[in-house]
Amino acid sequence: MHWQILIQNIVGGLETGSLYALAALGVVLIYRVSDVTNFAQGEMAMFSTFMTYTVWTYSQGAGLSYPYLTAFVVGIMLAALFGYLIERVFIRPTSESSLLGKMIVTFGLILVVNGSAAAIFGTDSHYMQRAVSGTVVVRGIVFTPHSFFVIGLALALMLGLFWMIKNTFLGLAIRATAQDDEVARMMGINTKRITSFTWIAATVLGGLAGLMIAPSTNVYTGMMSDVHLKSFIAAVLGGFTSFIGPVIGGLVIGIMDNLVGFYISTDWQTVIVYGFLILVLIFKPYGIFGESPQKKV
Amino acid sequence: MKLSELIRSHPYAKYAAAVMLFMLVIWIDTHIGLFSSRHINLMIRVIYYGIVALGFNFLLGYGGQISLGHAAFMGLGAYLTANLAGNFQINFLPVLLISGFIPMVFGTLLGLVALRLERLYLAIATLGLGVTIQQVFQEWETFTGGYGGVRVPRPEMFGYVFAYSHHFLLLISLILLAVMILSYNFARSRTGRALKAMRDSEYAARSLGVNLVKYKLLAFAASSFYVGIAGSLYAYAERFVHPQIWGVELSLDMLAMVVIGGLASIPGSLFGAAFLVLIPQISRTIPLLNRITNINFILTGLAMIFVIKFMPMGIYNWLELKIIMPIIREEVQIEQRHRGLGEDDHGNPGS
Repeated sequence: MHWQILIQNIVGGLETGSLYALAALGVVLIYRVSDVTNFAQGEMAMFSTFMTYTVWTYSQGAGLSYPYLTAFVVGIMLAALFGYLIERVFIRPTSESSLLGKMIVTFGLILVVNGSAAAIFGTDSHYMQRAVSGTVVVRGIVFTPHSFFVIGLALALMLGLFWMIKNTFLGLAIRATAQDDEVARMMGINTKRITSFTWIAATVLGGLAGLMIAPSTNVYTGMMSDVHLKSFIAAVLGGFTSFIGPVIGGLVIGIMDNLVGFYISTDWQTVIVYGFLILVLIFKPYGIFGESPQKKV
Repeated sequence: MKLSELIRSHPYAKYAAAVMLFMLVIWIDTHIGLFSSRHINLMIRVIYYGIVALGFNFLLGYGGQISLGHAAFMGLGAYLTANLAGNFQINFLPVLLISGFIPMVFGTLLGLVALRLERLYLAIATLGLGVTIQQVFQEWETFTGGYGGVRVPRPEMFGYVFAYSHHFLLLISLILLAVMILSYNFARSRTGRALKAMRDSEYAARSLGVNLVKYKLLAFAASSFYVGIAGSLYAYAERFVHPQIWGVELSLDMLAMVVIGGLASIPGSLFGAAFLVLIPQISRTIPLLNRITNINFILTGLAMIFVIKFMPMGIYNWLELKIIMPIIREEVQIEQRHRGLGEDDHGNPGS
């Protein structure tokens, strides 16, 4: 029976890991394009999930035939709008600040978004259904189809994003802005619109991660704190300078978290994972796939 | 010697004068009882958070380093106090110093990690450390009492027990004064100048012969010492320590105090601390606003963003520069002001 439990843990790890990867990808996308480390990513994801949840309960109440699907689609649109507004209202006006200043703006955003969520949606915890319910048993291994849905969704989103970054004009513009926004602007790229787009994309990615984790955490104002921290660790582990790094970082953290939790101790799980991160950072200060930047005085 | 001369020759005499005046008011109040105990407790809270902000300013305001894990050091100071004062009946002053020194050792260790990390990675590594230490607080029951928390006895010094909160307020006002004078001298010394050079550009500072290793470690050590002491005062003031407070929110509050009040400014630190402590109290009294749960979160966050956008040197520094200076037409030689967080430092990433 030992190997079945191992596989179960690994699949569970892949599930949460791909959510960490999605959230981390959002963080890295924003970081590359606009030099902002968005520490509010988790809170924004929580807010998006609350909006989706509200749509879900309303469409259930209205007796729509596919309440979850409706909530899923409307939720994505609301998250996009939310990301657009955050960028427009808070980020763009402060885009001339120093790097530390921009980071502190997102710390302020954590407080603003968290406080607003509590004010609008309340501080109660709500149940959210899974995308696919039920369990499947194969050779003594218990699988939940939801985890395959999550892994598949994350995979599709990531592949789509990578394809877009590599092959479309929008992707080219994103890469150009990430490399040097001044030169990109001279080449006729509307970098403001690109920044706006990355915030929208990152918020949608975060919102989806939130929606997918909601069945196991419930929907409440603190639901994303763990995912958010782990997604940052994933981004750091993989390196902020690559797009593939955070994905691998997320999967590693997800699997490791599960295995440590099961085989060593759930109480000390967080401590061990963070210890691992700090060890990696001591030896590879820019992450496993990151490059150290060239610097000028 | 005339008073104005005294103030000019010892610039921190104005801090001493302000604190003495405050203490006089409180001492008179012990006899007439104008302030309710709620007010006194708020003042105590402003003072220990003021010490936190002074410490955090070494790191962020002078040194340009960031940490999201300092709440854990404050917690460590508080738990050390709870244990030393509760289980071993040690006096106030030695407890206070030990509660500062042990977090200082941990802070120096964190500084060692920070030596290798850029600002962004440092923020995340310290965030991880903070969460980890908070977890340890929750699990290590013999030291911290776990989720149940620990009680702290009243502070005792030379056989006198500070049972009356007015007296404790007087005591920690004196500690605040000592800390302010220490900070003042620290900032004006060779060390303070080296830290500022490091903040403005690590590479430029290094090329001028500033030993980055030494000063980064120093910034972390000094700030953890202050924060540890403040944790100890927290324990004595609240007389109960539980693990929920020492989380990321508190670290964010520390950051907010320094950013809102004023980077690299001693009165600014106190201003920031007062802002953070009083905002929940004030917003509770305003009609309409008090219906919104967590309105203080929203206001603090908005204040942070507002300050970064419009007064990147912090509210206090801004007031001093734009309002107070022109009014009193003081022609004091102003040392080069902290340029704040407003200017773009492109082409100089992460330094």
